[in-house]
Amino acid sequence: MNFTLRVWRQEEHDTPGRFETYEVADVEPDESFLEMIDALNDRLIIDGSSPIAFDHDCREGICGACSMTIDGRPHGPGDGTTTCQVYMRQFDDGATVTVEPFGAFAFPVIKDLMVDRSALDRIQQAGGYTGVNAGPKPEPNANPVSPEDAEEAIDAAICIGCGACVAACPNGAAMLFTGAKVTHLAHLPQGQPGRFARVQDMVDQMDSEGFGGCTNFGECEAACPKDISIRVIGRLNRDYLMGVLYHPRNPRGGMKPQ
Amino acid sequence: MSAGGPTRPVESPRMPSHDVLVIGAGLAGQRAALAAASAGATVGIVSKVHPVRSHSVAAAGGINAALNPEDSWESHAFDTVKGSDYLGDQDAIEIMCREAPDEILYLEHIGVTFHRNETGHLGTRAFGGASQARTYYVADITGQAILHVLYEQLMKHHERLERYEEWFTTDLLRDEHGHCSGAICRNLRDGRLQVFDAKSVILASGGAGQAFKPTTNGLIVTGDGIAQAYRIGAKLMDMEMVQYHPTTLAENGFLITEGARGEGAWLLNAAGERFMEKYAPNKLDLASRDVVSRAEQTEINEGRGFPDGTVALDITKVPRKRTLEALREIVNIGRDFAGVDITREPIHIRPGMHYIMGGVKTDSFGQTNIPGLYAAGEVACVSVHGGNRLGANSLLDTLIFGRRSGEHAAARAKTMPMPTTPASKLADVEANIAAIISRPAGGRRIAAIKEELGTTMNRYCAVFRDAEGLAKAHEIVRRLKQEAPLAAIDDRGSVFNQDVIAAIELGYMLDVAEAILVGAQERKESRGAQFRTDFPKRNDDEWLKHIDIVVNGGDVPQVEYSPVTITRWQPEERTY
Repeated sequence: MNFTLRVWRQEEHDTPGRFETYEVADVEPDESFLEMIDALNDRLIIDGSSPIAFDHDCREGICGACSMTIDGRPHGPGDGTTTCQVYMRQFDDGATVTVEPFGAFAFPVIKDLMVDRSALDRIQQAGGYTGVNAGPKPEPNANPVSPEDAEEAIDAAICIGCGACVAACPNGAAMLFTGAKVTHLAHLPQGQPGRFARVQDMVDQMDSEGFGGCTNFGECEAACPKDISIRVIGRLNRDYLMGVLYHPRNPRGGMKPQ
Repeated sequence: MSAGGPTRPVESPRMPSHDVLVIGAGLAGQRAALAAASAGATVGIVSKVHPVRSHSVAAAGGINAALNPEDSWESHAFDTVKGSDYLGDQDAIEIMCREAPDEILYLEHIGVTFHRNETGHLGTRAFGGASQARTYYVADITGQAILHVLYEQLMKHHERLERYEEWFTTDLLRDEHGHCSGAICRNLRDGRLQVFDAKSVILASGGAGQAFKPTTNGLIVTGDGIAQAYRIGAKLMDMEMVQYHPTTLAENGFLITEGARGEGAWLLNAAGERFMEKYAPNKLDLASRDVVSRAEQTEINEGRGFPDGTVALDITKVPRKRTLEALREIVNIGRDFAGVDITREPIHIRPGMHYIMGGVKTDSFGQTNIPGLYAAGEVACVSVHGGNRLGANSLLDTLIFGRRSGEHAAARAKTMPMPTTPASKLADVEANIAAIISRPAGGRRIAAIKEELGTTMNRYCAVFRDAEGLAKAHEIVRRLKQEAPLAAIDDRGSVFNQDVIAAIELGYMLDVAEAILVGAQERKESRGAQFRTDFPKRNDDEWLKHIDIVVNGGDVPQVEYSPVTITRWQPEERTY
């Protein structure tokens, strides 16, 4: 198979970027998208050009490193997959394929297709953890968790923090990510202490990072490689409202580490 | 396009000096950092990738602990000793198994969503080599679930725990007394080198799977910590013990979790026979990994496998609903990478390199033979795994010995002043890197050398080994060690220069590979993962001892021996 690639090239954050066009020929249909880029990079290196920088590691869809927008879709074609799980057979022979970094105001480009996703960490750092020391560790079976709650918690905890939801959202919102983190803990007994302060602190940080707000496009859910449901945003909104109305934080502000 | 996005400082403005410096941010490193910070130390944690991309994220199956009232830590410990083919140190194994239940409770307490059964209680699954179902799990994303929750806790301690993400460690430092006094690291984002002064250093940078091809390990798993410690004089132990996992995908070597067999999947040869009945009549598909991998390879070598050098794993024996609930990642992996619906048809698998039992030799507090240098997790060899690690004991190892290292390192740091590193050390490393970047063109490509290394190791140092093949592999690795410093570098820039990192990593992998080969040639018996076709029997009289590997300038490393600690379980014949 043959393709024309339009790839975003940018030396570093402060320099302007541009699309470069590359022709790739004799690509095997069962080659993965990243293997195709690897081969292109080998050629660029031999030609004395600089290879395309991109994030990748495990190449089995679990680490959350790979992050490309392919033909306008974060993680490319296919549902419930990361970029490393995309194969060339999913494209038409002879197609022109456009490859960009995850685009969002809160994700500055580092180089080429690599972006800085540390804003997501700062949302988490604002309170996305079990925060209260409740004395000695309880015997876990003293607080049974229903399989339904455990399942809901796992369905949210499966978030790999890749940021595809942000890149997919026309508003650049991080609400699927934040909702997943909030939902994971909200379904567990150990997440109940500090539950409403947590959601307020995380939402405040999310806003201050320059992420947009949810207006129910649903693009995040469609792009999520782990199929996290947009229901987690409903949970986020409900808990946030409950927090603001009935559990306002003390005037000194957020939850402090213990 | 996000080119107009906000700019922020990439790293902390504070000077990097910490009571405890942790290198690596997988499960062992994060657990060590948390333990040290909780004990009052100031902590820096350095990782060449974002912490949640660390390879622990790929750990699938679960974590062992004797938590059920009908189970006992002694039973867990015996299974581990037997699994190790009696090469594990029993004092360390006792510590690990005794402390395991408390660690599960800790994880549960901070928010890990362990599987709950229909009554709301913690559920377990069966795993290989275990006499009880004592593996606690989160679907088949146990590593990911624990790693993300530990990362949340790191953030909670951010006031005394500094994170350095995407910093690559190039060298460990020793002061004039021989103590480890920090490390030199390179910021991948701008190429800047920085000295990190520390009273104690904990290595937690994982294994070295990329020295083999194929491997289940991610591209970042390049033996960095093992080689760094070895180069400054730390002893390596049990390096010959390399685990081949019984179920890796034929197409690309990806891991199919042992949890699949734990849930009831069968191994079949090309004739449809459940061949494990011959090799392990009691435990069948859930014998120890070395036993199952050898059985598969025997079937394949003797012509009872499929033409593509595989046997089959039949997950259709597991109820479909259960597979979709408890093995969700491998359903995806089967679909995306092999084009197979594993709930409806068998999948082709073969043994594949997965884990190294060996590593930097430590005591049960993670201390190496270099004062101030600790190691925990796959980089280390306590030795709790001996000749063969049981499934779901590695997460336990990372967490127990990560915590113990962190606590001990924090206590040690209280007793001493902060070291300061002379500027000349930084200048030396700067000169080394400048020399790499300015190499003349013309040498072999790094990727080509790495490929030759990986295929060589996988050909000669795999499930079955012999003197001739090992010697041949060693000869090749010696040659590659000469070629590597001449390998071509194409990227001369400073922002995310992956070429420079690849050149350094290649050197690490070659050192680790040589240590493995020297150990494997030395051990003239078959024990655990080391099966020598020329010495097919276990020989306790001569070889019930550890092989230690010590650096010897640029020459072939020296070999030493150290005794195996036996507390209560004398070696017996090992059958499953």
